[in-house]
Amino acid sequence: MSGRECIAMLLAGGQGSRLGCLTRNIAKPAVSFGGKYRIIDFSLSNCVNSNIDTVGVLTQYKPFLLNSYIGIGSAWDLDNSQGGVHILPPFVGEQGGRWYKGTANAIYQNIDFISYYNPKYVLIISGDHIYKMNYTQMLRYHQEKKAEVTISVLPVPQEEASRFGIITTDEDSRITKFTEKPVHPDSNLASMGIYLFNWPVLKKALIKDEVDSESDNDFGKNIIPMLLQEHKKLYSYSFEGYWKDVGTIESYYDANMDLLSAQPEFDLFDTTTRVFSNSDILPPQYIGEKARVKNSLISNGCTILGEVINSILAPGVYVGEGAIVHNSLLLPNSTVSCESWVRKAIIGEHSVIGAYCSIGIKIGTNPRQAGITVIEDNTLIEEDTLVEEGKNVYRGSVA
Amino acid sequence: MSKFIGVIACNYRTDLLQSMITSRPIAALPFGGRYRLLDFPLSGMVNSGLRTVGIITPYRYRPILDHLGAGKEWYLDRKVGGLFILPGSRQGKYSRNNKFALRDFVKNIEFLERDRADYVIISGCSNIFNLNYNEVMAKFGDKNSDLIMIYKELCLEEKEDCQGVVLQVDENQMVVKLESSLGREKQIVKFFADTFIVKRKLLLDILKNYEGIEEMDLLDILEENIEMFRIAAYPLSGYFGRITSIRSYYLRSMDMLNHSVRNELFMKTNRIHTKIKDNPPTKYGTQCSIRNSLISSGCTIQGNVRDSIVFRGVRIEAGASVTKSIIMQKCVIGEEAVLENVIIDKYGQVNTGAVINGQDHSPVVINKYMVL
Repeated sequence: MSGRECIAMLLAGGQGSRLGCLTRNIAKPAVSFGGKYRIIDFSLSNCVNSNIDTVGVLTQYKPFLLNSYIGIGSAWDLDNSQGGVHILPPFVGEQGGRWYKGTANAIYQNIDFISYYNPKYVLIISGDHIYKMNYTQMLRYHQEKKAEVTISVLPVPQEEASRFGIITTDEDSRITKFTEKPVHPDSNLASMGIYLFNWPVLKKALIKDEVDSESDNDFGKNIIPMLLQEHKKLYSYSFEGYWKDVGTIESYYDANMDLLSAQPEFDLFDTTTRVFSNSDILPPQYIGEKARVKNSLISNGCTILGEVINSILAPGVYVGEGAIVHNSLLLPNSTVSCESWVRKAIIGEHSVIGAYCSIGIKIGTNPRQAGITVIEDNTLIEEDTLVEEGKNVYRGSVA
Repeated sequence: MSKFIGVIACNYRTDLLQSMITSRPIAALPFGGRYRLLDFPLSGMVNSGLRTVGIITPYRYRPILDHLGAGKEWYLDRKVGGLFILPGSRQGKYSRNNKFALRDFVKNIEFLERDRADYVIISGCSNIFNLNYNEVMAKFGDKNSDLIMIYKELCLEEKEDCQGVVLQVDENQMVVKLESSLGREKQIVKFFADTFIVKRKLLLDILKNYEGIEEMDLLDILEENIEMFRIAAYPLSGYFGRITSIRSYYLRSMDMLNHSVRNELFMKTNRIHTKIKDNPPTKYGTQCSIRNSLISSGCTIQGNVRDSIVFRGVRIEAGASVTKSIIMQKCVIGEEAVLENVIIDKYGQVNTGAVINGQDHSPVVINKYMVL
């Protein structure tokens, strides 16, 4: 196989347990976002828009929906005869098989896959970030600096810095220190979890890390500090623009709501870098005679007969007559029946809120998860049910 | 392999669509917010399991190719079968209601010869309905009919835009006569839906027998030889819309605002497929007001929309008011503009404060790329 310049390895195996009932049945990258998208669309579209035509998607946790959504990658023009998208689940060999232990171990187990394409560079990205980025510019930077590893960084507010992997650099942007979630951060440059490696350097590091039984086999915790110790040339690449890690219910909700601001920083309507997705065949949305729609994003196949304000509706959503939906995210094919009231809630895929329900009733002053109520997918909320704000309603549990 | 192959005849015009079809064939006429007329017959075929479909193209067929591409959205990018472009013959500017011109079939006879399917489904491209042909075959497949003609029982209007073919059917649901719809206004008739199923071998025989006389239409041949064939008639039970004029285009478009029509055509298992554009969801502003309208993806709506159909990627600015209108793809309606009973073709631009009023049921048509 002739060598490729750069291939991407997309980490999509994490459970995303902090998203609670949103990821109980599906992997985090497959969670619906921004109406018609799923979270992985952004990373995959970035690859395509950066002319990276070979992408390995590492899956592990509940991959069914994710696998069927990606398919052969045709929605992103990744159905190439050479390269294209490859779904890489854990597998067995002569020595038996193992689950992916950490991010580095997942790549380690797929060394053969990367070697098959024999690229000069390997881009490691994750499938759970919302951003638009041209990886080509990062690659040019990497080449200019003659770096062995380049990590994409962006400044975060100092008080939030201890949530991230924090990078300290010299005046030439060469990385001098990397600390995962430091208690006392000495910089506010956070790693975005986007790593560009020279393939031989990565391969060697992965093999070395694998034999270390103390290691968690994680890029941030183990591989990067190890390479720093070896005085490899690690550089930081400053990213400018919108980037959100949607790891928690609050950040997931906020990132969605960011799309509704008058001039959103993350602009889905920008045609220069389009976001592709695998969409269902649905007719245009219908807004009824008595409906009221304000400041919302609404997708194909929706039927709106009630009131929708400050909300994002995914494809195939139904809002019945007299229903009121405020500040909420209605995920694909969910239903809010007539005269129901939904406030600051996330309604899971295919879930049905019966008539005359109230979802997100105010209680006291300090509700959980910023008062966001979440209903799991495929859940039926019976007529006349009241659900308090900040509650997570799992399927089968009594609301 | 499917028992059927399909042919969609797109090589005809109707003058009453005026400027809407100067730059595009009728098959490519945008409809219902995100579709083109061709999507309806094509989706009916692929939903019935067909994976070999030929499109007889008219003279200006760029919009058709643009829309279809390799046929991916209709699952027609196949190794076995797939989408075939069958170049139609050049006709005069005004064809005589001649939808299934013999010469178009004769020129493309290889398409029919090469496949081994038992039946060919032949359809026009200007009627809106959603039919699964397996239902037709379940009813007639064992009756040993040579042909099955699909019709819709309907009451002709007082003033018909265009003539069509009316079937005379006997008590066994067999066609005994083909007639013109002329002179039958206000009567209930069995109106031929421009769609029929014919045994492939029989079609080939007909084409070979008539090879020299290519000015004829397939329907003329059926009419002449009606006793020779066993022609069954299949009634359409669902929605049926004919697009023959600006007026009927407007009225049939507005039918899509009806919940049961929309549900039947678009929301059941047999969906209408169309080209996917990867637009973002539609964004509604803080000051907009929308009533009884069909809005497609990728729009930005700040103004007021009532009883209208809005295609993909349209921008309606603050204070603008759109009523009983059809706004096609990528149009921009400026602030405070007022539109009522208007059809704006693609990429149209209505400047701030402009006022355009059509009459009830007789809309004003603004041509493609026009700036007002």
